[in-house]
Amino acid sequence: MSKTTQAPKALRGVGNYIDDRFHLAKTGEKNLRKVFPNHWSFMLGEIALYSFIILLITGVFLTLWFKPSMLEVVYDGSYESMQGVPMSEAFASTLYIDFDVRGGFLMRQIHHWAALIFVAALVIHMLRVFFTGAFRKPREINWLIGVAIFVLAMVEGLFGYSLPDDLPSGMGVRILQGVMLAIPLVGTYISMFLFGGEFPGEDIITRLYVLHVLLIPALLLGLIVAHFMILWHQKHTQYPGVGKTDKTVVGTPMFPAFAVKAGGFFFFTFAVIAGLSAFVQINPVHLFGPFAPTSITSGLQPDWYMGFMEGSLRIFPNWFDFQIAGYPIMTAVLVPGLVIPGLIFGGLALWPFIEQWITGDKRARNVADRPRNAPVRTGVGVAGIVFYGVLWMAGSNDVLSETFSIDLYLTTYIFRVLAIAGPILGFVIAKRICLGLQRRDRETLEQGYESGTIRQLPSGEFIEMHKESSAETVEVLSSKRDPSSTALAEEDVDPSGVENPEARKGMGKLRRALAHWYTKDNVTVRDVEPHSGHHLHHSHDHTSQEGPEEGKDGH
Amino acid sequence: MTRNGETVKWITARRRHPLAGYVVVILALALFGVGYAAMAPTAEDARAQTLAAEAPAPDDVDIAEGRAIFDQTCASCHGQDGSGTPNGPDLREAGSASVNFQVSTGRMPSMDPDSQMPRKAMVMSEEELANLIAYYDAEIRDGEAGPDVPYEVPGSEPQREDFEDEGSYEEALETYEAEYDSYIEGAEDTDMGMKLYLTNCAHCHSWSGGGGALTDGRWAPEIHDATPREIYEAMVSGPGAMPMFSDGVIEPEEKQELISYVKTLQAEPDAGGIFALDRVGQVAEGFIGWTVGLSLIVACAIWITAKQRAHD
Repeated sequence: MSKTTQAPKALRGVGNYIDDRFHLAKTGEKNLRKVFPNHWSFMLGEIALYSFIILLITGVFLTLWFKPSMLEVVYDGSYESMQGVPMSEAFASTLYIDFDVRGGFLMRQIHHWAALIFVAALVIHMLRVFFTGAFRKPREINWLIGVAIFVLAMVEGLFGYSLPDDLPSGMGVRILQGVMLAIPLVGTYISMFLFGGEFPGEDIITRLYVLHVLLIPALLLGLIVAHFMILWHQKHTQYPGVGKTDKTVVGTPMFPAFAVKAGGFFFFTFAVIAGLSAFVQINPVHLFGPFAPTSITSGLQPDWYMGFMEGSLRIFPNWFDFQIAGYPIMTAVLVPGLVIPGLIFGGLALWPFIEQWITGDKRARNVADRPRNAPVRTGVGVAGIVFYGVLWMAGSNDVLSETFSIDLYLTTYIFRVLAIAGPILGFVIAKRICLGLQRRDRETLEQGYESGTIRQLPSGEFIEMHKESSAETVEVLSSKRDPSSTALAEEDVDPSGVENPEARKGMGKLRRALAHWYTKDNVTVRDVEPHSGHHLHHSHDHTSQEGPEEGKDGH
Repeated sequence: MTRNGETVKWITARRRHPLAGYVVVILALALFGVGYAAMAPTAEDARAQTLAAEAPAPDDVDIAEGRAIFDQTCASCHGQDGSGTPNGPDLREAGSASVNFQVSTGRMPSMDPDSQMPRKAMVMSEEELANLIAYYDAEIRDGEAGPDVPYEVPGSEPQREDFEDEGSYEEALETYEAEYDSYIEGAEDTDMGMKLYLTNCAHCHSWSGGGGALTDGRWAPEIHDATPREIYEAMVSGPGAMPMFSDGVIEPEEKQELISYVKTLQAEPDAGGIFALDRVGQVAEGFIGWTVGLSLIVACAIWITAKQRAHD
């Protein structure tokens, strides 16, 4: 193999032809040599990308037969159970895809499973970026694009779920309309405008269809392309290690290693989604039957990514509803339906800027943080996960209540308490765990790792030998930066007794307080010499001559 | 077949042939194509399957034995004359449909009058139940008050132990199945049955009949095991927290449509895949999407990266 450094003649010919015209060789070479750091957690975003590609392809397939029309027809297709039932053309054409189009049922299930995996992959990708601080300068804009993709993906999913006009999709649209109606002043107008009259009207499916297949996918595609171009330009973050700095990227070249890996990974993602779709039934619209405004069922939820909104609607109390001159303000719908998601996504979007404001860190950070080394950020992230998770579980309270035989009302109270206490507990516990891990890191750096070798001292005492960590480990552990803030650089009161003017203003005070909160707990490694503790810890032969008292140190 | 003087298998000699890869791919594609054609769900697969049943008439019943059963198993809560005690309601206007429903679903006799009873196996035989109902009708019931047992609706399937020999059992089973099928297939207006079910029943029992949570710690039971007669009786007698749907509100023919719809739906195979997740729906789908789907893909990412690092 080593003798062939030249491409085959046929390829060379095509390559030269293209290069003579577009001069792609240089750009191509540069980009093909682009370096990608190796870590599995850097592939989470790829899962989302691949699911999106699968969604586009299967979605195009479905549009070939789907009729986005609410015209009433009487079903006479090959699915006998529904024959003679009046239904909308949208539902009838969905049954047609399921039972009369070869492979249509499978395609619909692939489309639905891929949607669930797509949003799930977005979430874990976002969590990885959050917990490693990869949203810091220069990547704040890409973080914002990511948040926008997340929100659009949810809306896209909700609209797609509504299209078949089956029982759950109609119920979903009804909740959407309810939230709209709760908006003061303009709510009724928005609803009448969107539905073209009263619910359900005859337009909504057609309108949602256009949004679902045209507008939102185009926006998503544009944002995803922008997300990638920015990533390409800014290069990937990397975890700390030997030779990895804010200025150099260490990894595998794009071609061939990364391309092969990514290509293989696409097929694996597709295999899992296709496997689920082949064996696990999802959203069986033919069993649900068509939607009618009188029909309603228990035990029905939106797809998982809307679960937290369902949950916030279910557990939020109606204690705060009030009236203005006879017009009710439905806080019990407005707050959980709009304010809480607004807080979650607004908080996500703003966090990079909040953190930058607290720390005053204006430098480009290309080396990712280990989550434990930013304990406050990690704690905030865990608090967010707990809050989201509690709302999400509350969205399935009836299923949980039935499955685990818990009183339904009791679950509401449990979730109300958890929604407030859970995030606080989550923050405290996560931060404590981070600090504990930091302490262990410091010990490992100082003393080396526990080798598992037990030695008996002349006195009869048993001790465990510590050995020197690898250069890589030492680099990872000693590169830890202590959390700091420019706000705390100056004292509150300078040596001559003059108060710091920043600390007297309201915002300055707040910033200093937050900076204190952000940086106060930390286990520094700056004063640690790697393996400086080893003479006490018997990692070399001479240690056996030490006295037992010394040997006890640190054990 | 020989190579280098050694005999080798036919396939071994050819597996490095330049075309071998293509042959394998074509064979695999053909296998999947033909396999798919054979396995693809068709409308026939999704067609309703039917269950099975019996049709007893209250003949030669023993009222004296019915009284003995009532005094032993019912009277301690409902009183000797069925007029009720603090532990159990007045039965005089409940109707025999209610008695049949409560006893045949194993909810009565109840061990704990304060909590909702789940469906259980019936504690007595069909014959004893018939005697009990005869006694109830003769001695306790307040004239014609309350709904009667709808004997024309198929009840529970005949059990082998109730019959002397295999032949009479088979015969009874065959009669039951014929009646069951004619009751279920006698309903033709799917739309009416579906609308009635989804408007009146599904908001507690759920679209699939899987049941659901109610307020105050109660729950709507799943109705998969319920016979058409039990569903009918539940509608006319309104047990527990369930509202009553008398024959005036939903006519017997409409009840037949409704029962046929839900029983047909329950018997319907799951065309979407062998794992139907108990038809729980979106909660189960989301759970599987995260725990199976995404977890497998992430495990693969970890594996691929580890492999790649091993080669670096």
